[in-house]
Amino acid sequence: MESVTGRIARNLVLIVALIVVIFPYFWITLTSIKPPDLVAKPEVLFFEPVWDNWREVLFDSDVPRYMLNSIMVGTMAVLLALLVGSPAAYSFSRFRTGGAAFRIGILVAQMIPPAIMIIPIYLIMYHARLLDTIWAVIVAHLTFVLPMVTWFLIGFFDEVPVDIEEQAMVDGCTQFQAFYRVVLPIISPGLGASAIFAFVLSWNEMFYSLLLTGGDARTLPAAISGFWTFRGIELGKMSVAVMMAIVPVLIASFFIQRYMVKAMGRGAIK
Amino acid sequence: MRHQTTHSPRQPLIPLRYALILPLLLVTAAVLLYPIFFSFWVSLHRYELTDLSNIRYIGFRHYARLPDDKSFLNALSNTLIFVVAAVGLEFTLGFVLAVLLHRQKTFRDFYRAILLTPMFITPIAVGLIFRFLLNSQLGIIPHLLGLVGIRIDFFGPNLALPSIIMIDVWQWTPFMLLLLLAGLESLPHEPFEAARIDGAGGWQIFRHLTLPLMRPVILAALVIRGLDAFKVFEYIWAITRGGPGERTEMILYHIYRVGFRFFRMGEAAAMGYVLVVVIVMLALAVFWLLDRLPVILAERRRRRIARERGV
Repeated sequence: MESVTGRIARNLVLIVALIVVIFPYFWITLTSIKPPDLVAKPEVLFFEPVWDNWREVLFDSDVPRYMLNSIMVGTMAVLLALLVGSPAAYSFSRFRTGGAAFRIGILVAQMIPPAIMIIPIYLIMYHARLLDTIWAVIVAHLTFVLPMVTWFLIGFFDEVPVDIEEQAMVDGCTQFQAFYRVVLPIISPGLGASAIFAFVLSWNEMFYSLLLTGGDARTLPAAISGFWTFRGIELGKMSVAVMMAIVPVLIASFFIQRYMVKAMGRGAIK
Repeated sequence: MRHQTTHSPRQPLIPLRYALILPLLLVTAAVLLYPIFFSFWVSLHRYELTDLSNIRYIGFRHYARLPDDKSFLNALSNTLIFVVAAVGLEFTLGFVLAVLLHRQKTFRDFYRAILLTPMFITPIAVGLIFRFLLNSQLGIIPHLLGLVGIRIDFFGPNLALPSIIMIDVWQWTPFMLLLLLAGLESLPHEPFEAARIDGAGGWQIFRHLTLPLMRPVILAALVIRGLDAFKVFEYIWAITRGGPGERTEMILYHIYRVGFRFFRMGEAAAMGYVLVVVIVMLALAVFWLLDRLPVILAERRRRRIARERGV
């Protein structure tokens, strides 16, 4: 059906796109192992790799601590969102509780710009003496993680047949027991996918974290935003820090792409 | 619903369906609704972080001053240019790639998995990587261009904004690709086969079948990405800090400067609300344009043809 030239042209375009996407990853990987005196020389491609940058950033800098902050913030935000979001999503999926207002409310909540949230959250945390603690960042991240998780979960609950719960209730479960003993285990892959996706959102967020924390409680993105003094040695370390922020997410992305297509497609069609 | 009332031995204080939703309502009230109202309250006050004992109600005075605020208007117009250019390019490129990938048989999943990766990584990392790649002294791209005699400063006065736009295109074209490819894959087969049997060409099929059938997906992709593009901050923070001059000053960065560098919280809060109004109006305009306009145009064409036939 398709002409040979058409097929070649298509593959060419795709390969160019592939190179455009991969090249930046390749380049910072290369920079992270370049000897310091060669970092400022982009033309040098072949050299003896040195691991000083990795050693220094991993064992002799604050970057691992910031990474730990990111992990704690993401974990807490996701756990809270699942705890609060899953019963609500179940209630909406089964009983249409709140009707159209609930659905629209979630969509609007996802779209509230940080421009109007940052000032009140900052002032609240200032008065609560919670600035530069991970709690300030957790609360800020809940503003987008919670609507997103609830939205994802509604779709997963929708796919569970009502018969299963009815059978469980005939067998003596209350509705609530049917929810957490029968339905929740069935959608555990969905819970996992939502959790990973929400964690990535939190892991990547910089704006709130930058303004709500000053030192100890910095998350990784806010911390690496300071890695911009453009001297050769710093660039190597910056590359390591950047890789530590993006590699875990790149790996996770291969697992969540499938679910994202589904959840976003649903949002787009309804 | 009936199950619950007949099966439960006694009527609970709050019906289960509402009890399940209550925690979400309480948390939402605390972390979303309260801050939003507080923010509006702040916007009506002289509220300076350096002078918290002297907070005065001043009504809508912050709002009234904004139409004459050159920096604010400049940031707003930069942001609008950025959003329209970036989202437009991302949509066009994303659609081309989606159509190509849709036809691709070999390595399709591999291509997709790799091409989608930029949308998952943190924007600050993208900003830092491109600041490095495009740097006049240290960057590989200016170096390669230099080999063929082209010398350009990607973050100079004329190119800074286009460079920021291209960085956004690198990161977010994958989002368009993801949605549009999912849309293409869910299209029904029958109308396309019928059109081909009737002898329609590739372009005709695209124009009169693919595009109309894809309209809901296109609309969603443009609106979601458009809303998100207004939040641009990290590239500016990592690379230009609004410069050179105020060429790349974006609205969120401007609000940050007014609120957190000059400590004028009331004014910054008012800017946030004006931004929301602008965004809502734009979103409605896009909806109207993509949802109503094709219908209106088709109706007009139908009438014209009817009139010509009548004559």
